[in-house]
Amino acid sequence: MRTLRTIILSLGMVGSLMASEALLVGKGANLAKIGLDAKAWESVKAQNIAFYPQTTIEMNDADVMKLNAENKAKNVSIKSLSDGENIAFLLKWQDGTKSVQEGYSSTAYGDGFAVQFPTVLDKLPYIGMGSDGRAVVVHLQKATGKTYEPNGNKDVFHQVNSSNQNAFEANLKKYKDEVAQVGNGDYQRVYLAEGFRSMTQLRDSSEESMMEMKYDKGFWTGVIVRKLKSTNVDLSSGNFPVAFALWDGEKKNRDGMKLLSPWVEVKVQNGKSLATLSETKEGDVKNGEAVMLENCAACHQYKEVKTAPNYMAPNLSNIGGYANESYLIESIIDPSAVVVPGYNTAAHPNFPWYTVDKGVRNSTMPPFSHLDAKSLKDLVAYLKTLKVEVSK
Amino acid sequence: MSQRQLAMVMDLNKCIGCQTCTVACKTQWTNRNGREYMYWNNVETYPGSGYPKKWMELGGGFDAAGDLQAGIVPNINSDYGVPWDYNFEGLAKGEQLKPHVNPTWGPNWDEDEGAGNFPSDNYFFYIPRICNHCTNPGCLSACPRDAIFKRDQDGVVLVDLDRCQGYRYCIAGCPYKKIYFNPKISKSEKCILCFPRIEQGLPPACAQQCVGRIRFVGFLDDEEGQVFKLVKKYKVALPLRSDYGTVPNVYYVPPTEAPPKFDAHGKIIEGSTRVPLEELEKLFGKEVHEASKTLKAEMKKRKETGESELMDMLIAYNHDDMFRLDNNYYAEFAKSKGLSPNKPVDERYVSGKFTQKMKFFAASGVKS
Repeated sequence: MRTLRTIILSLGMVGSLMASEALLVGKGANLAKIGLDAKAWESVKAQNIAFYPQTTIEMNDADVMKLNAENKAKNVSIKSLSDGENIAFLLKWQDGTKSVQEGYSSTAYGDGFAVQFPTVLDKLPYIGMGSDGRAVVVHLQKATGKTYEPNGNKDVFHQVNSSNQNAFEANLKKYKDEVAQVGNGDYQRVYLAEGFRSMTQLRDSSEESMMEMKYDKGFWTGVIVRKLKSTNVDLSSGNFPVAFALWDGEKKNRDGMKLLSPWVEVKVQNGKSLATLSETKEGDVKNGEAVMLENCAACHQYKEVKTAPNYMAPNLSNIGGYANESYLIESIIDPSAVVVPGYNTAAHPNFPWYTVDKGVRNSTMPPFSHLDAKSLKDLVAYLKTLKVEVSK
Repeated sequence: MSQRQLAMVMDLNKCIGCQTCTVACKTQWTNRNGREYMYWNNVETYPGSGYPKKWMELGGGFDAAGDLQAGIVPNINSDYGVPWDYNFEGLAKGEQLKPHVNPTWGPNWDEDEGAGNFPSDNYFFYIPRICNHCTNPGCLSACPRDAIFKRDQDGVVLVDLDRCQGYRYCIAGCPYKKIYFNPKISKSEKCILCFPRIEQGLPPACAQQCVGRIRFVGFLDDEEGQVFKLVKKYKVALPLRSDYGTVPNVYYVPPTEAPPKFDAHGKIIEGSTRVPLEELEKLFGKEVHEASKTLKAEMKKRKETGESELMDMLIAYNHDDMFRLDNNYYAEFAKSKGLSPNKPVDERYVSGKFTQKMKFFAASGVKS
């Protein structure tokens, strides 16, 4: 757990709940002391956001594929608070098993959660950790035991296994104690990413945050506090998008094997609604399905429609769960607008999802800008229905 | 694909399973915390379970279409085996020597067991295994963080510990299970082909220490090198399980020169061989038949004429001849990149391949 150095309190801000999936920024509180159990949270209304299993790409771990094949979406209760300087979120989700990555194991995985913030507001970054020119900052907290830095900050001596030390009894115990002290028990990380392959850990203090997570009676609660304005992020000008993810260690979740939310709008007092997150919720789903079959099914697999060859294109089975409408429209009419490095082209070389020309990635998907307005609207409406059900 | 590829050849006819290579690697690299169970170099008995247990059945690698196959991340306790210790200090107090845990599995648990019936047709041989530094690495393809890279200058496959997040998809993706999870630092680690030694013109520790002189090290494109001659000229050194599609760069001279079988009366069956070629075919492919013929023909030629370049190489009169490392090449490479030739060329191994390149680092004033 890291603590923010300075917290300046401002007068409380009261937002109003304007859209069902928008988060309310609650009354200001002393965010410096905002722990998991802080009183300030009690007066904040929680909102449920459904997190959907990532199925766009398949992970190459046979155990993971088996354990997560029947994953449903999960409702996560989220509260948010701001004091004008900082933003805090409190997440609470059900998890029947507390999983901590600890001990001498190669197969233990920790539960965890992450919060993603955009570095740009005029365009929506790709939900899978941003995209070119639309970077995101990701804060990650995992439940782990002690972990050690490789090379222990150049302290090679304490990296050597105790049985290789020329020490016995008291000296050996002393050495082991010293090694234990080098370990850090809190797996909190901050990353900067322009698409899920590019994620890079920030080791400076440019994106400081305080995160904590606690397990109690079948539920995890997690908290994050960070500044609204930092080196890479400026969320101080009004409403802004935020996205969340969580991992279930019991099901060997890590990396892309996770549940994730779409971009969710955080509304502040007098904040202007974000055009990038507007949802029309109109369109003829039935006609959309026909448009989808005709135009998309040759390349994309989704739900039980598996006419396309494996690995040819992103799987769209849960796209309605974690993609926002503006992203869907953009990707249909201009697929090259957002092309992330994707997963390794060497893994599935037969169907490259993009070509690179002078450092610019061009999607191999042709633009479908020729679709008429109604077809597009119907298609998007159908895409929004592509998601698994939410577990009760 | 890298510009050049460093490769190793191991002559399995000469491996005596002494594990000196294993110990050389253990003391050089895997004596660190979290690496206790790791053997970047191990020697296993074939037929046998291998290390980790039944690694050939744990998936990874590529199918015929070139798609990465799903694999399994082995369990440290049940599949690799955790090294145990003994109560040496208690011996002075009269205690009986015993391990501190009840060992149930470990590398070489089934050492020398092999297959067949003693004494008529039982057999086994040793396979020393290191990372194959594949041309199409399964680990690299599986990594969702671009944390694994293949060096341009020699094709050595390394993990960028700065980018690695300990997801372990690389372990599932490697069909040889030669990349390991370090639970202490929560990152993947693997054989680095002793690149800091190689860059100084020294062979990897496992090859240098090999008492049987079974290991050759050199560049695959170096026509004067013994590696080239064994792999490309005589084609007697074959990759292990090339059907995994990763194009491995460790080659093996198959153990074709096994003793004959005995009949029911304990008499030698002339012309028989204990190691069935079908078994070798499973490991080294159909090419093993041609390699076996070449080896036998050259052996005969050597017996009759006293001359055979191939046999002279395999006899390994001079250990130095087995290594052609061209440290001048590395020195020139370092010079062309403006690096000190006395330091390991690959700073990425320590500092992170992309860390300095992210534009945000420059913008936030962090020195690059």
